[in-house]
Amino acid sequence: MRLDLFLRDKSSSILLNIFCSIFLAIILFSLGNPTEIVILIFLVWHMILITFYSVHYISRRKYFDNILKNASDSEKKYLISEIIEPPRYVDSITYYTLLKMANKSMLEEITMIKNDRKEYKEYVEQWVHEIKTPISAIKLSGENNKSEVTRLILSELERIDHYVEQALFYARSEHVENDYLIKECSLATSVHSVLVENKQMFIKNKIKVELKGLEKTVYSDHKWVEFILNELLMNSIKYRSDQSPCINIYAEDKKNGVMLVIEDNGIGISSHELPRLFDKGYTGNKGRQFKKSTGIGLYLCKKMCEKLGLLIEIQSKEHEYTKVIIFFPKGRLVKL
Amino acid sequence: MYNIMLVEDSIEIRTELSNVLIKEGYKVTALTEFINLPELILSTQPNLLLLDINLPGVDGFTLCTEIRRSSNVPIIFVTSRNSEIDELMSITLGGDDFITKPYNIAVLLARIAALLKRAYSQTASGDVVKHGGVELHLLSSRMEYDSKSIELTKNELKILHYLMIKKGTIVSRSDIIEHLWDSEMFVDDNTLSVNITRIRNKLESLGITNYIQTKRGQGYMV
Repeated sequence: MRLDLFLRDKSSSILLNIFCSIFLAIILFSLGNPTEIVILIFLVWHMILITFYSVHYISRRKYFDNILKNASDSEKKYLISEIIEPPRYVDSITYYTLLKMANKSMLEEITMIKNDRKEYKEYVEQWVHEIKTPISAIKLSGENNKSEVTRLILSELERIDHYVEQALFYARSEHVENDYLIKECSLATSVHSVLVENKQMFIKNKIKVELKGLEKTVYSDHKWVEFILNELLMNSIKYRSDQSPCINIYAEDKKNGVMLVIEDNGIGISSHELPRLFDKGYTGNKGRQFKKSTGIGLYLCKKMCEKLGLLIEIQSKEHEYTKVIIFFPKGRLVKL
Repeated sequence: MYNIMLVEDSIEIRTELSNVLIKEGYKVTALTEFINLPELILSTQPNLLLLDINLPGVDGFTLCTEIRRSSNVPIIFVTSRNSEIDELMSITLGGDDFITKPYNIAVLLARIAALLKRAYSQTASGDVVKHGGVELHLLSSRMEYDSKSIELTKNELKILHYLMIKKGTIVSRSDIIEHLWDSEMFVDDNTLSVNITRIRNKLESLGITNYIQTKRGQGYMV
């Protein structure tokens, strides 16, 4: 609490006191009292006044400083009304009551939104599982009756499946810790299963795939790793170059872990867009041109990498290449 | 002939899956009701069970527990749930494998075949494939004709093997490419052409010509 603000707040009563003391002095003078007495009374009056306001100021400052300190120490600042002691001053009591009221209604609001979100998340998960049955059925009948038409349908179905999967992982990404199991997983198996999942698109777009040195194991959750790989490969397919598109996937042992690289010779990303790639909803120039970008994929990748304790980095040169590097640390506890 | 029992509530999937399995040479018992399953299994004695987790009325986990009380039949869980917990549950309750929807047919068939082979310890047949005098030795990646032998690369072996399994029918280029993708070979159109040419050259060096016929615009046939 600042002194000048306090004084300004009390200015009316201080002015009133000064005015009254002067008025009293004038009366005392005109009644013929000696000057010494008048000055003494005047001084005593103001001594009492100053002492009163000093004590007042100090006690209030102590009280408010205490509240502010408590508030800045606590992590959940919105709970402050629960921990401050009820004030002793009449005007503050009103504010205290208001704060309590606001807080209560805010907590109710938050609980409501939380419930809504939880319900929505559950709905999305449920929906994804429901939609997978018809997808499986279409896939089965497509593969049972192979023709150029079903091949096209299957490749479009792969895209549907991908978006469905993305929705599921988005819904789950808030609470990764719920289904998340770190175990030994083979990079080769994960990469292979993602490639096979999207084979129609690779074949349709005549994309060459080269794998090297993937026979390594890392410690992670394979489902989440596969989701990340899937997103990255979808990007590589989406932003491929027209001439002999090629995707190189290779792994290297590093000092503290394993580095997985997915490199394509696609249209690339201009350098000024690189820093914002992982932002939610960021589509960039290419994304806007292609009109299919949602700006969600890489954002989810980044978020999941953070939760899994993986590092992800993108290097790129426009019209030449895009290189995504995922680093799997070894021998360190994975951050939850 | 192995008998596979399908426990799956979606009619579409049931029909299509039955078709796939019958085409692969399995006998299929597709259930339409999901009551008294353990008794049904005891009486039908299927060789393998494909079990969905989300079923009307009961769930697959309960069924699996019940079945395990009386039978050791291999069980593959087929489900749209794909969390680690579900997988863990499936395996701890006695399931032998776990596949999530939408599954890749080739993968599903491979898992079924592997499980059947393991469960009924079938002798490793199919090590040697023969057609038109050519013997394909899968384990040693060789091709033999007229007691002459030549080595094949992994890709060549897979391609020739696939053509020989489908002998007498035209196999389209995209079918071959897809098959190779399913078995961890990621080839493109050009690589396939190169490989076919190499196989033909190798066949010629063994003294066979026109073993692989090109059907214009349709594919290849042996």
